[in-house]
Amino acid sequence: MIEIDHVSQTFRTSGRQAHLALSDISLTIEDGAFVSILGPSGCGKSTLLYIVGGFVSPTEGQARVKGRAITGPGPDRGPVFQEFALFPWKTVLGNVMYGPRQQGVKAAEAEAQSRRLIEMVGLKGFENFYPKELSGGMKQRVALARTLAYHPAVLLMDEPFGALDAHTRTRLQNDLLNIWERDRKTVLFVTHSVDEAVFLSDKVVVMTRAPGRIKEIIDIELPRPRRRAELLLDPRYQKYVVEIERMIDDTSEDGLRP
Amino acid sequence: MMARALSHLAPLLACLGLLAIWQAGSLMLNTESFPTAIEAVRAVPLILGDRESVINILDSLRRMAIAFAAALLFAVPLGLMMGRSRLVASFFNPLLMITYPVPKAALMPIIMLWLGVGDLAKMLVIFLGVSLPVIYHSFQGARAVEEKMLWSGAAMGLSAPQRMIRIVLPAALPEILTGCRTGLVLALITMVTSEMIARQSGAGNILFNSLDMGQYDTVYAMIIIIGAMGIGLDAAFEKLRSRLVRWSEPGFDIPLSFA
Repeated sequence: MIEIDHVSQTFRTSGRQAHLALSDISLTIEDGAFVSILGPSGCGKSTLLYIVGGFVSPTEGQARVKGRAITGPGPDRGPVFQEFALFPWKTVLGNVMYGPRQQGVKAAEAEAQSRRLIEMVGLKGFENFYPKELSGGMKQRVALARTLAYHPAVLLMDEPFGALDAHTRTRLQNDLLNIWERDRKTVLFVTHSVDEAVFLSDKVVVMTRAPGRIKEIIDIELPRPRRRAELLLDPRYQKYVVEIERMIDDTSEDGLRP
Repeated sequence: MMARALSHLAPLLACLGLLAIWQAGSLMLNTESFPTAIEAVRAVPLILGDRESVINILDSLRRMAIAFAAALLFAVPLGLMMGRSRLVASFFNPLLMITYPVPKAALMPIIMLWLGVGDLAKMLVIFLGVSLPVIYHSFQGARAVEEKMLWSGAAMGLSAPQRMIRIVLPAALPEILTGCRTGLVLALITMVTSEMIARQSGAGNILFNSLDMGQYDTVYAMIIIIGAMGIGLDAAFEKLRSRLVRWSEPGFDIPLSFA
């Protein structure tokens, strides 16, 4: 369980002014839940993810994982970034093996596991490629495999499909769901796409524009496993999308007020 | 095929062209202090066949190698730390800005007062000449490392020193090696100038002694030898560099089989 307890985050801007990015966020994420954080750009949703990751410390409040205060990054929480952040000097296999090797897994075992993961994300045959030889979608598959390889209990996904074209994006969403259905890790998924949030999540957290506050938490009660083609025709799905889109429109207008 | 063969021959043709212009110029001027290219080239094997001269040249290379290695051991860690810590950067940056434009050979007389005319003074000058570009490029390379790459490493359990060695260093390697290549050329230049000022042994010593004695063919032959050393070292380094950072080169061949 992840608990975010009255977390606020203030940044110093270059003009030495304090900018309130997150204001008094409290949120509890159950084990095995797929939760999306949705909001307009600049609402601090990525910052919230970084706080859970331990990459950024909150100015006020506390985040806890399994009851313990988060003081830094750890292999129990695996990030996947929009920028992929692969190690360009390592091959696909080298990247995926990196985490297990760091955790002390023997080379042969780490390699066998990593090869299975690479196959699972659909990149069999690309083990010896360098990241620069891969397309964006393939890079993100490697990044996902690299993170899954060290068995984090929680996946922290920071707009992971934001830089991909629509087609690739859809395929990766499907594949992510298939992988998630197998072991039901806790996923915290940051996105600005309403469709994506509704399609993937058990719960969507809608945030307001800066300073980021939680506007509403919506439970998505759609059956799993989800098939995109079926969902698109499902009136319940459509209702969620329209409802949340309206909410986002409201929060955007809030932001325009001086 | 023809064009490819020609592009391979081009450097050779350029060298031959330069020698031809030299030869013609020298014949036209016809002064004693400007020997013809043929005379200079003929003196090259005489120098390389002379035991004394070879010892001198090897002495130079030994000093250069030691100073170059010492400079890398000092400059790369410093540059990387500057690139990742604002505090370290703001401390060392002004010092670099002051020392960068100073010609390192100009420091030679002062250094000689402290350390004498022996190996140590010369190696210190080479060390200074090499360090600055290597620090600068390591700094730039480390600064450009993507934050999220370091975060990914931290999540896998890498400590801060491990991230420095296992993420920042390899990620900055292409830039570091660019600095090393500049450093290598500067090492050769400072090597010769240091020997010009503190004559005792070395390639520069042969060059300037023969200049004093009016042996102009030897002077020009030494210039050819030093130039050849530069080309050789640079080519060897480039080979090593492209092997080390193959992963970052823009267009290396993508294997066609997916097996």
